[in-house]
Amino acid sequence: MKILTTVKKVVDVELNIHVQDGAIVEDGLQYVINAWDESGVEAAVQLKENHGAETTLVSVGGGDNTDIIRRCYAMGIEKGIHVDDPALEKADSFIYARVLQKVFEKGDYDLVITGKQAQDTDNGQTGIILAEYLGLPCVSNVVGIEVIDDTHLKVTRSGDTGDEIVELALPAVVTVDVSINEPRLPQMRGLMMAKKKPIEKMDLAALGTSAEEIGCAAPKSEVVEFMPTEKRAGGRKFEGEAADITAEVVKLLAEEAKVL
Amino acid sequence: MAKILVVADIKQGVLKSSTTELLSKARALGAETAVVAMGSGIAPLAPELAKAGSDTQYIADDASLELFSAGPYAAAVVDAAGQFGADMVWFGFSESSKAVAPRVAAQLDAACATEITDVTLGDTVEVIRPAITNKVLQRVKINTDRLVAVVRAGAFEADEGITGSENVVQLAAPAPDTKAVVREIVSDTSGEIDLGDADIVVSVGRGARNEAGVELVHELAKDLDAAFGSSRAMVDAGFMPHNKQVGQTGRIVAPSLYMAIGISGAIQHLAGMNGSKVIMAVNKDPEAPIFNVADYGIVGDLFEVVPILREEIQKVRS
Amino acid sequence: MNPLLMSVLLIVALGVFARTMIGKIRLLQALQPAERVNHIAERVKNMLVLAVGQKRLIGRRRERSSGIMHAFIFWGFCVLLIRSIMIYGEAFQHGFTLPLLNEAHLAGYLYTALKDVMEGIVLAMILYAFYRRIIVRPARLHNSFEAYLVLALIGILMISDLLYDGARYNLTQLYHNPAGIHFFNNPRYGTEFAWTPVATGAASLISHLGMKANMALMTAMFWLHICTQLVFLNILPLGKHFHVITALPNVFLKSLGYPHEKPKLLDLEDEAAWEDESLGINHIHQLNWKQGLDLYTCTECGRCKDVCPAHVTEKPLNLFEFNDRLKHELLANADKVIQRFRLAATLAQCSDEAGAEKIRERMAALNSEKQLVDDVIAEDTLWACTTCRACEEVCPVTIEHVPRIVAMRQGQTLMAEAYPKELNPALKGLERNGNPWGIGYDKRADWAEGLGVPIMAENPDVDYLFWVGCAGSFDDRSKKVSKAIVTILQKAGVRFAILGTEEKCTGDFARKVGNEMLYQMSAQENIETLNGYGVKKIITACPHCLNTLKHEYPQLGGRYDVTHHSVFIAQLVTSGRIRIEPSLAGALTYHDPCYLGRYNEVFDEPRSLVQAAAKGVYKELDRCGRESFCCGAGGGRMWMEETIGKRINLERAEEIVSCQVANVAVGCPFCLTMIEDGMKELEKEEEIRTLDIAEIVAQSLA
Repeated sequence: MKILTTVKKVVDVELNIHVQDGAIVEDGLQYVINAWDESGVEAAVQLKENHGAETTLVSVGGGDNTDIIRRCYAMGIEKGIHVDDPALEKADSFIYARVLQKVFEKGDYDLVITGKQAQDTDNGQTGIILAEYLGLPCVSNVVGIEVIDDTHLKVTRSGDTGDEIVELALPAVVTVDVSINEPRLPQMRGLMMAKKKPIEKMDLAALGTSAEEIGCAAPKSEVVEFMPTEKRAGGRKFEGEAADITAEVVKLLAEEAKVL
Repeated sequence: MAKILVVADIKQGVLKSSTTELLSKARALGAETAVVAMGSGIAPLAPELAKAGSDTQYIADDASLELFSAGPYAAAVVDAAGQFGADMVWFGFSESSKAVAPRVAAQLDAACATEITDVTLGDTVEVIRPAITNKVLQRVKINTDRLVAVVRAGAFEADEGITGSENVVQLAAPAPDTKAVVREIVSDTSGEIDLGDADIVVSVGRGARNEAGVELVHELAKDLDAAFGSSRAMVDAGFMPHNKQVGQTGRIVAPSLYMAIGISGAIQHLAGMNGSKVIMAVNKDPEAPIFNVADYGIVGDLFEVVPILREEIQKVRS
Repeated sequence: MNPLLMSVLLIVALGVFARTMIGKIRLLQALQPAERVNHIAERVKNMLVLAVGQKRLIGRRRERSSGIMHAFIFWGFCVLLIRSIMIYGEAFQHGFTLPLLNEAHLAGYLYTALKDVMEGIVLAMILYAFYRRIIVRPARLHNSFEAYLVLALIGILMISDLLYDGARYNLTQLYHNPAGIHFFNNPRYGTEFAWTPVATGAASLISHLGMKANMALMTAMFWLHICTQLVFLNILPLGKHFHVITALPNVFLKSLGYPHEKPKLLDLEDEAAWEDESLGINHIHQLNWKQGLDLYTCTECGRCKDVCPAHVTEKPLNLFEFNDRLKHELLANADKVIQRFRLAATLAQCSDEAGAEKIRERMAALNSEKQLVDDVIAEDTLWACTTCRACEEVCPVTIEHVPRIVAMRQGQTLMAEAYPKELNPALKGLERNGNPWGIGYDKRADWAEGLGVPIMAENPDVDYLFWVGCAGSFDDRSKKVSKAIVTILQKAGVRFAILGTEEKCTGDFARKVGNEMLYQMSAQENIETLNGYGVKKIITACPHCLNTLKHEYPQLGGRYDVTHHSVFIAQLVTSGRIRIEPSLAGALTYHDPCYLGRYNEVFDEPRSLVQAAAKGVYKELDRCGRESFCCGAGGGRMWMEETIGKRINLERAEEIVSCQVANVAVGCPFCLTMIEDGMKELEKEEEIRTLDIAEIVAQSLA
């Protein structure tokens, strides 16, 4: 089985994000591997370890992605591709999906594993759109992958009413949730070996396409402004007669928060 | 006039309120509205779909649509969008919507926006949506004629006086997805709701003191169909199994509602649940750090509060 | 006596002994190097106090009776050794004596008396030892055949010598000395027998047997004594009583300047080390020679496990068994270890790559077949240690357990990548955001908002850096301690600053769980920051930070004068910059943090501060000071689950509860968390408040 996984370099969501003049203040931010993609990489490496798959990783955009690709090498990925091009600066999910489509078509992959979303945009679209472009079956929000045979997987999708057990014919695309696994922490030995491994870097031309072909000039949507979100209104504390305050909180949960 | 197709949210044969909320918003924007519904045995819901605010009801009612499958569901939506000539397709917030919307967008060559909290029409169409784990909001300009959007839960309000007209269009049953076949739907084998999946998580902490306390809180979780979690202290004390521990070394959860019952809020615990949309806490110590993150905090002994909580929730829910 | 027989006996016994010892020493020589032969005066002093003085045997309140017993056996044994030399000489020269110790000098008489009394005392102690082992049966003791054999042999040595003297007395004093036996008889001091009450007592037991029997008995006891001693000598190196020979050198060679060997700074870029699996301890030949000597020296007395928080709470860590297993693994692989050592020497001189490769292959083939962790030491055993050093502090022969455990963890983490996976979130948090909670680094100084605390970057012209630490920065409970410290420093007018978001975890927990990579990354960044500001003096509230900054950062070029806040505050009080008025109501005790007390010898300042602030009575815990009981969080255990046995913090909290106090003072954020958690579990958090020293002082400022 040949597996293609994707990783995106994203902002560390543990940090406070400040917005100024409609843009995110980059000062003090640090960038890390997208958590969902990290789970996708772990899933691919586990398939490799347990079933002898070949694993390739692709990262699109993000400038210098050497660190995160090496991290994935240290986790067990065998080959890494980094596609970057100035034309991708304003890329939306559709353009990312087009790039991934080109990468997929250059290889002979049986399975694409992507994170179900990226923690910077939280869009959750690219993997599914890629499947549409490739005309492949797709299961999203996957929390379990088992191999049935060379051409079929049994995947578990966390759906609205429970876990859906899906028999998936390969080639296919799955997008995984972080609950699928606990990604391993790359260790020194792997990181040292990763330093010696080459990363295949290419721009759109090298990928055999162009900014026009994949629609870079006209993204379907673009972020025109960032705004701060209101801070968590924590600390609304109710003290007093248990019966009264409890009734009040339940009322607020139902009517204000709308979570009951 | 913009044409907005709303995808009906039907769970176990029941039309969810999000459909009315979305249609209310669409009408408020002055759009022409239609609704598309997929499922098995849902045809009788047509009057209800009209009443929810739609003027046309595209209904794909087929036994093959009993279990959710993203491919056929997307095909039905695309079919309806085509027939209706929709400028926009709106989904309510659910896992199914998140799976279907990008497919529909790709097939319609439309833009796609998920988790939107607001939309403006006009010369330029724009949506507002949270990003970076809800830390910022984005204003997103839509550059295409068509937009597929998933609306965040609770973003739009239902208009009480809303109504539409019944005009049912039966859709042909979409072809089943033979390459991704849903075999069955299972929940946690123990009958417990998994912490990762649950919309509501109720967690018990040291305040519960003993078996009886744990059982009391468990009953609350059952009432709410919530997953039942625990602080590290209760796991260490042997009252709760390891896989129920929410926190740094346990499970990390981000439900819509997190109820911390008798949990003081050690930093390790907070790290596992502070992504929750709404946090409610019960603790008898008014200084407990949990109150610094709780949206709603009740200062009181859980043995007194939880029974009242259950009663009150029963009242609101019925 | 028969010089020929004596010569044969000596040659055979000493020959066999020498052969055994050469084998043992060769094995040590083949182990890794360690720098232990320096500062001779200090080493001699250690040996005199700890080994000759038996400090840890008689100095411990908890183990005094057995300590006294051992000390007298040891001293008696030493005294008897001199006598033994004279007995050996007797075989070659009638009436042989050592210079000074003869009848011409009072010293000779005094020695004779001392020897005699000591023999009696030793015999009594041997009886007490049998009584303890058979009747009392203390839990820490491991009753083996060897233990009884050795006790019996020592008993025989004493009895044979006493009976030998007894027979000499009878023959010379009752039977007119028919064989011309030599004995002290200086008119100034009388006969030697006037000085030997025990031997004369023994004589009276055998006087009725008659002259012939006494003659025979004297000869028999002479040879029995000799043979027993020579047999004893040859038995010693074979078992745990090797310590009779190795204890003195082991104490002489103990670590100086820091209570145990500091973790080695590993060169993680050294590819040969990765190839050779020599980062950390992965194979038995990777012990250093001093660690090998430690294994030889372990007597299985069990004092270590008696004070070990992991063992006391039923975790599978039994340090003497740990040592015993390593020792057996070492001895079982002795030939391989020595061969490997020789090959390594050959390899160092080998110039052609093909030949070198061959040697390396041969060396790899000489690794033990057993996995050091798993087959020899169980994983749960290795990870149970809190690195609290209680074991080392009580070990009478100064065995250093903890560095070995940490080095084995390094092997597990670096080479085998087999460490408890529940550490991952903490390690990842350290890697990304410089703290084990993984909270965004940008929030590190949030606690100080509005307190007017200068940040180093904006205000580098200060006298002290207040190193806040991760807990003090991110843990809500510990933030209160940080604020209390600020209150005190401001009140005293100390010019200080914090690093703010530039501070990172010192890397202590990562190093103790064997993750040298993350430790070095974190440490290097911190050192760069600290040196960048030219920081000289650091105050910190975290003993783990203190220990790492003070003792481990110098390895990486970070040299600072680091002070625990308790010591610094005590200095402020002494110099009159602040004044404490008693304000804390209720009885009070103090829990010594391991890394403050045992590691850094701070015992008095915290006590003086909290006593000054307390209105109520101050009580010591049963386990306090050097023998304080760990809270359970050290050695990275804070970030691991504790699923086996009783929780360590609960054990400690119960001890505090039984001390009947209203307040327990601590000086470490991890102790604070663990003990407060224990109190909550016992539902005592309202009756007994857990407070940091700084909090107590801050609320008692005059």
